[in-house]
Amino acid sequence: MMRNVSAHSLFTSPLGTASTAIYIVFICLPILALVIRALQQDSFLGSLTNEQALLALRLSLLTSGISIVIVVLVGTPFARLLARSDSLPLKVVDQLVELPIILPPVVAGVAMLLAFGRQGILGPFLAQLGISLPFTTAAVIFAQIFVAAPFYVRSAKLGFMSVAREYEEISETLGLSPWRTFLKLTLPMAAPSLFTGVALAWARALSEFGATIMFAGNLTGKTQTMPLAIMTALETSLDTAVALSLMLLLLALLVLGILGVAGRSASRAIRR
Amino acid sequence: MMQAEVSQYEGATRGWIKCRLGSFNLDVEWEVSDNQVLTLFGPSGAGKTTLLKAIAGLIRPQEGHIEIGNRVVYDSDAAIWIPPHRRRTGFLTQNYNLFPHLTVADNIGYGLSGAGPAGRWKKVQALIESFQLNGLENRRPHEISGGQQQRAALARALAPEPDLMLLDEPFSSLDVELRRTLRDELRKSLGKAGVPAILVTHDIEEAISMGDVVQVIENGRVIERGSPLEILGQPGQGRVARLVGVENLLRLRVESRHPQDGTMVCFSPEGPGLQLEAPLSDVEVGQWVTVGIRASDIILADAEPRGSSARNRLPGEVTDIQLRPPGYEITLACRGMALRCHITGTSLNEMAIVRGSKLWAVFKASSCFLVRDEDNSR
Repeated sequence: MMRNVSAHSLFTSPLGTASTAIYIVFICLPILALVIRALQQDSFLGSLTNEQALLALRLSLLTSGISIVIVVLVGTPFARLLARSDSLPLKVVDQLVELPIILPPVVAGVAMLLAFGRQGILGPFLAQLGISLPFTTAAVIFAQIFVAAPFYVRSAKLGFMSVAREYEEISETLGLSPWRTFLKLTLPMAAPSLFTGVALAWARALSEFGATIMFAGNLTGKTQTMPLAIMTALETSLDTAVALSLMLLLLALLVLGILGVAGRSASRAIRR
Repeated sequence: MMQAEVSQYEGATRGWIKCRLGSFNLDVEWEVSDNQVLTLFGPSGAGKTTLLKAIAGLIRPQEGHIEIGNRVVYDSDAAIWIPPHRRRTGFLTQNYNLFPHLTVADNIGYGLSGAGPAGRWKKVQALIESFQLNGLENRRPHEISGGQQQRAALARALAPEPDLMLLDEPFSSLDVELRRTLRDELRKSLGKAGVPAILVTHDIEEAISMGDVVQVIENGRVIERGSPLEILGQPGQGRVARLVGVENLLRLRVESRHPQDGTMVCFSPEGPGLQLEAPLSDVEVGQWVTVGIRASDIILADAEPRGSSARNRLPGEVTDIQLRPPGYEITLACRGMALRCHITGTSLNEMAIVRGSKLWAVFKASSCFLVRDEDNSR
């Protein structure tokens, strides 16, 4: 009780008020500026409906959607394994999972070129199969998966760790096989964390820029996603860049909003 | 060895395992017959929970043979291993582990498969009825009381009609009052379901009231098996006596034997020479024995009782009074030996017992029991 009171008074003090104000202004001002600028311009709708913008929007939704599906399909069993194992090799893997989070995306792009590019380690092998990855839509997806997957795996792992082993043991003694136990018990119990992970990973995939431009290039309709289109537009017309930026912002908010509602209702189902 | 015996009755549930977990060695055997409750009694860390988990298939011992209702579910020699979900055991754990994201009804119906939604619903309703959970069907586990949680968990475990119930200290998170009520309830439910059960506990009262048979486990080994009242009420083994906490263990010598009364007189050769009568056994005159007496079997009187059938009446002086809920423990110095007796607070006040009070300790010869010590040389 005492600690609560003192903590409360600390944050209602002038120091707390000031820092809160500074923080809010710092975060909101640029976003507000973007919205104001977009609303001021006459050609706002025209900028949004030009062909290049629509292509970029379509490509962003398509690639980030495919990336997220792959991340969830591969990342879920993997995260579950990480959550339950305490073997040394898996602990090392566990640390490696987080590497792309701290790696600068441009570096990730270079690294992917060196692995999957024409001159890369797998290049000759892929060439034999008639596959050339760099500067294709598939390369965009590769780049997005590389940078976004850790956010999902980390969140999913924490979600699975929060499901005590005893629950799964009880489920098995009640006659459910390990696989059915996973589907009927573990997944629903971990659902809030899984939704959070999807939201984080999707937002990251949607905003991916550095690795994409290095590994996939900037080809309209093929590899030019929204962030790349914004940068390209900035060189010729600020108005178009602003309109696209606002669109990407709304898109991100929409994705986060939908997943947030889904995650909250899942966690309410668990806590209730 | 128990695994060599052939059971006479149908549906035997038994086995033996050897299991090494780090530096801990579990080496036990067990047997429960139909409709019986086997109690595993022992201190924490004795390996009781590990044994339950091995029977349920949640851990795999290095060696062993496990039968549930005459069905072999594990045999290390024959390489038989049935996974937990096909063993048909019901596991009731200390904190029940009701699934937090499901309602009470969904928890109970969790293990029901096959029957179809209508059949499942009917069965869940019947269980809710018999476990008095009406009106709580749509609550979440954290919205119901501890006792209700236990009932719901028990209903969930019994729903798929297991061949064996495994109960791991199912009362430990409840208060004393509720414990007694639920104990009776649990016995009745098990009897009604006709399921044999193995109950793990370190509570002696629970072991005596719940079990048909008790096995005392210490350090991963069974040290005694038999009827709970005999083994835990008047433990014949030194280690069990100490586990159970027999308050009075006296080292005495046999002075004379009285086969016509079925008693023998034992005495302490040191000091003023305490003397008492104990049930006759085949110990020779002059040999040492350890006599155990439960503190609750001793009656205190403020004058020498006349016209009493109790064979032992010993005068003494109170040297210590300790609060021991629900009553008091009095230490009485009786001819050079300390006797501990339990009395209620009311008796303490009525008799105005204080340190230095002169009292008589009275107890029957049959309240004394001989305790075999592993090491009889002392």
